Amino acid sequence: MENARKIEPGEPMIKFALLDDVLNLARANSLWPMTFGLACCAIEMMAAGASRFDLDRFGAGVFRPSPRQSDLMIVAGTISKKMGPAIRMLWDQMPDPKWCIAMGNCAISGGPFEYEGQYAIVPGTELLDVPVDIFIPGCPPRPEGLIQGILALEDKITGGEKKNLLRRFRRMGG
Amino acid sequence: MAEKFPQPVVDQIYTLNLGPQHPSTHGVLRVLLDLDGEIIIKADPVIGYGHRGHEKMGENRLYKQFMPNTSRMDYLSGMIFNHGYCLAVEKLANIEVPERARYIRVICSELNRISSHLLWFGTYVMDLGGFTPFLYAFDDREQILDILDRVSGSRLTYSYCRFGGVTADIDYEFVDQTRAFLKRLRSRWPDYHNLVTKNVIFIHRTRDVGVISPQLAQEYGVTGPSLRAAGIPFDMRKIEPYEVYDRFDFEIPVGTKGDALDRYYVRMEEMEQSCRIIEQALDGLPKGPFINDEVPSSLKPPKGEVYFAFESARGQTGYYLVSDGSKYPYRCHIRVPSFGNLNVLTEVLRGTLVADAISILGSVDVVIPEIDR
Amino acid sequence: MDEGYQAGVVFAALTPSDKLRDAAVALKKLGFFVETMTGFEYTDTQEVVYHFNCFLEPKSRLALRVLCGEGMGVPSLADLFAGAIWLEREVHEFFGIAFDGAPDLRRLLLPEDADYYPLKKTFGTVQAFRKRDEIYG
Repeated sequence: MENARKIEPGEPMIKFALLDDVLNLARANSLWPMTFGLACCAIEMMAAGASRFDLDRFGAGVFRPSPRQSDLMIVAGTISKKMGPAIRMLWDQMPDPKWCIAMGNCAISGGPFEYEGQYAIVPGTELLDVPVDIFIPGCPPRPEGLIQGILALEDKITGGEKKNLLRRFRRMGG
Repeated sequence: MAEKFPQPVVDQIYTLNLGPQHPSTHGVLRVLLDLDGEIIIKADPVIGYGHRGHEKMGENRLYKQFMPNTSRMDYLSGMIFNHGYCLAVEKLANIEVPERARYIRVICSELNRISSHLLWFGTYVMDLGGFTPFLYAFDDREQILDILDRVSGSRLTYSYCRFGGVTADIDYEFVDQTRAFLKRLRSRWPDYHNLVTKNVIFIHRTRDVGVISPQLAQEYGVTGPSLRAAGIPFDMRKIEPYEVYDRFDFEIPVGTKGDALDRYYVRMEEMEQSCRIIEQALDGLPKGPFINDEVPSSLKPPKGEVYFAFESARGQTGYYLVSDGSKYPYRCHIRVPSFGNLNVLTEVLRGTLVADAISILGSVDVVIPEIDR
Repeated sequence: MDEGYQAGVVFAALTPSDKLRDAAVALKKLGFFVETMTGFEYTDTQEVVYHFNCFLEPKSRLALRVLCGEGMGVPSLADLFAGAIWLEREVHEFFGIAFDGAPDLRRLLLPEDADYYPLKKTFGTVQAFRKRDEIYG
């Protein structure tokens, strides 16, 4: 038993090989985001869900208002100090498995509002102990950028683009 | 509709939090509602969830460095806020603007106004439950964003205006694209009116809902389409014409009752009037320089103050800049229309149903990060 | 357009704080509304500026300026103009200026437990902190 790998905290104790892959495929291709637009990036998120940059074709178009029904939290916009505890609470309310995307410069590191004397914002989502999976830079990022971020998250969930059997195209870029 | 229900019994009050995370709070608004059954007894908006400290930043930024901030306050009419800031600083520092730049700024501001109203239209009807107009409105809005993206480089938060003009000139393709867009938008009006305006459910949900009377508007400082729906023709573009608005022929739509249906009509008609302004501006576009080259990069306006008021998509906005002669402003205060428009809801939401509250919140068209500067 | 309107207001009057309520009552009868309220911080005093505007008369904005120092309060206009409640809350939470008779002075934009006044020139990074006469002399 010396070769047995230690289980990391948070990792499931029982792993299914093929079933895990199928489950991940299902989870990745039907991400349900939570409507969490705080500021300007929310409008680009709405535009990404609207008619031209349809998010529904990736399965991610069903924006749920309730955290208990969603598995993706897109933090879009500046996090003010008053809003920080609410974000943490919403993250805790979401059931596992859950992912988080930090969209826009403000959610990544405070954005254009971070300067030496700033008293009112939390410069970045990671400072709230919310583990971010994908960072999408931009101020605001174009809806194509959000789509690329969601596709990158899908690849992260399935463990690589080749394993994502339901994808019919090759993702360009990083 | 609330008059048909019995009067509330005070000892059964239930406090509900229409929380900062809700599909139709237009930003991060939290309203503490005291309810008796479904009727609201007291509504207390709690704001500040989007406070980013713009006014403190204004004192710590050069005049030109504050330009991105202006766009991010009311992100739906970012170009109009940019435009107003440039006009305020130009007034403070006595900077001349060439004619072509004035026309370009007016065209871009009116395009922004149409895109803001289109987004309001889509999200308002979505709040009431109809998902289709949202897609139509966003499709039209994407055309505007394409035009503005081509000339300014950004879709939502433009920093296109500069002190003394604009960043880059417009070309023939801009003019052609804008004219094609106007033609296309005008062909959409019958679709929108057939789909929404004549819809029985929509009319029932908005008629006589959320009446803002002129006296209430005076007490709370309501401006914009909510005030014009109450019957008062107060539009900064006509009252204190700035830029070249006095050369164009357009009307100010005015309602009669001040309910949500009137606010809807006023905004739809305003979009058409904006189309008229754009057409006249494109017809009369002069040739010439697009920026005043002599503006110094680090602007040091003379000592003094200026209060400049203009009309954004939500109402009357004002920049109050105080300069002490150095390159940083001494005080930069922004008067936003959504402040008064939200404040009046503490009065208007009393005695309505919760479902009507959503309709009223949507029809008054507040953008919370604007209030929370 | 006269000289005074260059700055955006028809006139600006320095009002002593006890005359403020009388002026506001008169303005309300004439149909004015409180457009905005803002505060100022100088080394020697603080100041609150009220901008009033009228719906029916074009170009009739006027400003009332009230000086208030440490400890001196400004009378509240909350019973005349209901919208002034929020404006006073905002000026109070940013500058610490006390409004006598204001029904509600909770924090509006800052978190409820904030104990700092952000727009005072003694808070955070500040570029200039001057006397009032240097600007309006």
